[in-house]
Amino acid sequence: MEIKVLNSKEKHRIIEKLKERFGIKSIPYIIVQSGKERLRIASINLSTDEIKKLSQIANIELIGLYFATLVNDEIRLSIDATHLLKSQINKNILEISEKEKEEWLKGRDLQKGNVERGFVVIRYKEDLLGTGKLSEEKIGNFLPKERRVKD
Amino acid sequence: MYELKPLFEQRMKNLLGDKENYEKFLEIAKSEPPRTIRCNTLKISPEELKSRLEAKGWKIRQPFSEYPEVMIVESVLQPGELGKSIEHVLGYYYVQELSSMMPIIALAPKPGELVLDLCAAPGSKTTQASALMNNQGTIIANDNKLDRIQILASNLERCGCMNVIVIRNDGVQLCERLARLNMKFDKILVDAPCSAEGNIRSNPKTLLMWNIKMIEKLSRMQKKLALSAFQLLKEDGEMVYSTCTHAPEENEAVVDFLVRNFNAKVEKINLPLKCSHGVTNWQNEKFDEQISSACRIYPQDNNTEGFFIAKIKRCE
Repeated sequence: MEIKVLNSKEKHRIIEKLKERFGIKSIPYIIVQSGKERLRIASINLSTDEIKKLSQIANIELIGLYFATLVNDEIRLSIDATHLLKSQINKNILEISEKEKEEWLKGRDLQKGNVERGFVVIRYKEDLLGTGKLSEEKIGNFLPKERRVKD
Repeated sequence: MYELKPLFEQRMKNLLGDKENYEKFLEIAKSEPPRTIRCNTLKISPEELKSRLEAKGWKIRQPFSEYPEVMIVESVLQPGELGKSIEHVLGYYYVQELSSMMPIIALAPKPGELVLDLCAAPGSKTTQASALMNNQGTIIANDNKLDRIQILASNLERCGCMNVIVIRNDGVQLCERLARLNMKFDKILVDAPCSAEGNIRSNPKTLLMWNIKMIEKLSRMQKKLALSAFQLLKEDGEMVYSTCTHAPEENEAVVDFLVRNFNAKVEKINLPLKCSHGVTNWQNEKFDEQISSACRIYPQDNNTEGFFIAKIKRCE
């Protein structure tokens, strides 16, 4: 795994995006970038130097939790990030019905028209079910395959 | 249940001591263990989870007041229902056999500690440790096979574990490398690969594969793993060595090997299950008396699978 721990300036840029879209103001953890787009957050208490030394002697596969993907200029939160940051998310939340929840958990897009565009957090009652992408005629589903409920 | 091999039968009789106990072991071995789950306290409280599951019509029992996260699902469910519920998909619980929760209860990792989980996949114990640490501190979780690492990673994500670094290495080799970095751990779990005699209720095919040569081979590998890991403990650091098997060659003999080679003390463990003492005599071999402090969990004593757990402290 290529490990890049974001510096404070890079982290600030991510938090700005999160604040603008979802109202998230604080990420009190390190943010690690893997590849061009994927971000992970970690609450480990090793320094950047210690992580680097560890990566030189061992095959590090993962650090922390998959948190978000950068999509062009936007940011898409993972389902587990929506749980972790639940108390801070206060913007662009879309409430769905029970029937829609069943479809969503199977990994299907929700067929409904939208005026707005961009990523929204999907909520069913008190549960946050990840992020969807609003387009003209549907809400795109990004639930990972291994998390989908099979028929 | 498959037919027991005569040598396996004889060994279990020797371990269990009396005929009545052995008959109980045989009887319970024919049935599947109860369905048990562990509430993932990183995402939901036990009270909230219990009330959600009961609202679905599930009958839930919390057998230990001091560990409310441990739950027995007493209702008869459809096949696969435990893994299909929204609460499982969202990571609110982990399906984990009761006895398999005991090694981490014995290790008791605390927030802020540095913990090594040497044989971590599929992640039941890593996620349990992360929850007990409240996502604070660091767990280095290692396994040596990519397919198993993928399952571990998936479980860590689902449970929202943020304080874990996943490494893919041979366990002994990783310990040697960590020693070169002079990295020392507060707590270590070696939940070693084993002959799985304790799992015959949920996986009776184990009996078909059982043979004494495999046990001897595993014992040699387990000694290497335990020895390499033990050297990474801080002074007064603690290691739990566990297996899901009954064979003393894979259990007490491994701990005895540590005690004879290091300044190691086998500590008493307080578990919420009925345990038998570790054996100190096995087939003309005498183990250190301290090893009686280890815990043997037999299926017939608690209606669980079988497990062996020893907690060893590094003294200077």
